[in-house]
Amino acid sequence: MKQFAKILKFELAGYLKNKIFVGVTVFAVIAIAAVMFFPRFAQIFPSDDTTDATQALSVMLVKTDRLEQADMIDQIFSTAFTGYEVRVTSEETDWVKNEITSGNAECAVVMTGPTSYTYYVNNLSMYDMNTEIINEVLLNIYRMNAMIGNGMSAEEAEQIMSVQIESEVTSLGKDQMQNFFYTYIMVFALYMVILLYGQMVATNVASEKSSRAMELLVTSTNPISMMFGKVIASCLAGLFQLLALFGSAVVFYHLNKSEWGGNMMIQSIFNIPVDLLIFMLVFFILGFFIYAFLYGAIGSTASKLEDINTSVLPITFLFIIAFFVVIFSMASGDVDNMAMKVCSYIPFTSPMAMFTRIAMSTVAWYEIVISIGILIGSVIGVGVLSAKIYRVGVLLYGTTPKISSIIKAVWKT
Amino acid sequence: MILELKNIEKSFGEKQVLRDVSLKAEGGKAFGLLGRNGAGKTTSIRILMNVFPANSGEVLFDGKPINYNKVQIGYLPEERGLYPKKPIVDQLVYFAELKGMRHNDAVKAVDDWLERLGMIEYRNKRLDTLSKGNQQKIQLITALAHDPHIVILDEPFSGLDPVNAMLLKDVVKEQIAKGKIVLFSSHQMAYIEEFCDSIAIINAGKVVLQGDLRDIKRNYVRDRLVVSTEMPEKIKADFGNACSEAENGSLVIQLASAADKQRVMKRLVEEYDIDEVKVFEPSLNDIFVEYAGNRE
Repeated sequence: MKQFAKILKFELAGYLKNKIFVGVTVFAVIAIAAVMFFPRFAQIFPSDDTTDATQALSVMLVKTDRLEQADMIDQIFSTAFTGYEVRVTSEETDWVKNEITSGNAECAVVMTGPTSYTYYVNNLSMYDMNTEIINEVLLNIYRMNAMIGNGMSAEEAEQIMSVQIESEVTSLGKDQMQNFFYTYIMVFALYMVILLYGQMVATNVASEKSSRAMELLVTSTNPISMMFGKVIASCLAGLFQLLALFGSAVVFYHLNKSEWGGNMMIQSIFNIPVDLLIFMLVFFILGFFIYAFLYGAIGSTASKLEDINTSVLPITFLFIIAFFVVIFSMASGDVDNMAMKVCSYIPFTSPMAMFTRIAMSTVAWYEIVISIGILIGSVIGVGVLSAKIYRVGVLLYGTTPKISSIIKAVWKT
Repeated sequence: MILELKNIEKSFGEKQVLRDVSLKAEGGKAFGLLGRNGAGKTTSIRILMNVFPANSGEVLFDGKPINYNKVQIGYLPEERGLYPKKPIVDQLVYFAELKGMRHNDAVKAVDDWLERLGMIEYRNKRLDTLSKGNQQKIQLITALAHDPHIVILDEPFSGLDPVNAMLLKDVVKEQIAKGKIVLFSSHQMAYIEEFCDSIAIINAGKVVLQGDLRDIKRNYVRDRLVVSTEMPEKIKADFGNACSEAENGSLVIQLASAADKQRVMKRLVEEYDIDEVKVFEPSLNDIFVEYAGNRE
């Protein structure tokens, strides 16, 4: 236990004295500060609205043969496409095409009937939603015309067309609109920290091995103290870094709260319920441990630092798959699908899957207890196993040993 | 203090590395562990240090199974290595603390040793800024700072210049004088001969020779004579195939049996111009080559 404390202290000092570690943390805090103070800066340099107005709008040509409706068409299109200068024309289609290719107009709607048209554009952008709007506009014109044709006055028709539906949503469980952003941020933080620090643990072990400092370490300490000391030290360093980032974000947010006032997304991020933060901490620590132990064990089997990147790939893949299952489930809105349910009990995926379900859906308390129980048991098991692999692995030099020979050697000790 | 390895067997997978290895080292004396590369020296040392357990056999300290919490061991591994990027004093104190020293004691012991080895000026430097020989001295401190009962030195002299080798010799002699068990492993026979009272030669996982170095030499069959002479050609001609020339120019005469020694010596002195004649005593090198050379 005394040795464990010494190792923990030494390893932790290694992180906190590391110039890169400190540098990255400081840089990230500055970046967060820059984002959070952005509205204030934006006020100091107000955007020049007058220049925007004088800038020529892109031209949208609307070709129609029904010139008697030109005014109405112009008006409706102009309302629907505020970003365009709408010009109604009755020229030939070839002329319209020419206007677009020569750059005089950006796009054109050539009406071929009351409910059909051709949309011309030079380069079709991925985000071009114009046709959808045009469909809507033409549908409205068609319906208006139909209503007026049936003897309704234009005002009456317009009133019918512009009727608004009022609605109200009351969520009895979790509100996914509200918690999507902060869940996403927390899952992503979990993902980044575990991946980064896992690699750091693996590199740390492998560099001790390649510098032969291992020779002294294995003869001075027991591998359990060594492994747990290293992993817990890196976990503390990771927590420290997260705390610095999230802490500074919260502080800077409160300094600029009035500036951000109206932004719903930012507001939801900073309104994380306390119980969720506690779950985040629990799943972060346990998830971190289970992966860091694996990374440490892998690090001990590599004989050269260069081998680390390929050796850790299986674990990294496992973790990335878990991440994508969670992210896709979040995006689909159904975080309680079968894959997520299974994943929330598998120790390697449960930190992210269970956490997401708790954050975005309603999970029974016993499900959470079972998931955390399995996770704690697995962390201890994986920890002891990795310490054994470490003891066997660190003394094997030369080529990276096969998994089967490591399992055999571990089995025998 | 007596350290014993008794009937140690060890195999890694299918490969048997140690077969019935028994060794005995006493306090106040240096013990030389010899063997070719891969003979099983490092494995024996690792079992002794409890890095991994033996398949069978035991490690005894003063007749009882060794208690690693009480008996302190200092180790200078053959594969040298510390943290290259960390300040020297930090890592030395860390290793001393891992061996159970309190922080302040560790700092003091480390500073004393840095002073003693003339390295105090490098105290706060990073290890990789030092030359290889100086790094080796730093490594030596990790083996000695916690004042261990047993000191294990694996190839301690490799890479040291003559001045540093002298410094190390003094340190080793001091450790022996303090009554510690000093265990040497080396291929440099001259150093082993200089320090070690008793030796063991391991070959292919078996102890093939063990005992007091002087006894071993004395028990060697005394059936060869070394002759320094001004007239080697005549002696060579007279003794024929029994006479051969050694590398340093003196002659070696192989006797038919050790009993002829007296008679042949007398004849040599009477009949030839002889500077010196003595019974051939094998050097440790000769003994090593004979026992570890080509036996399986």
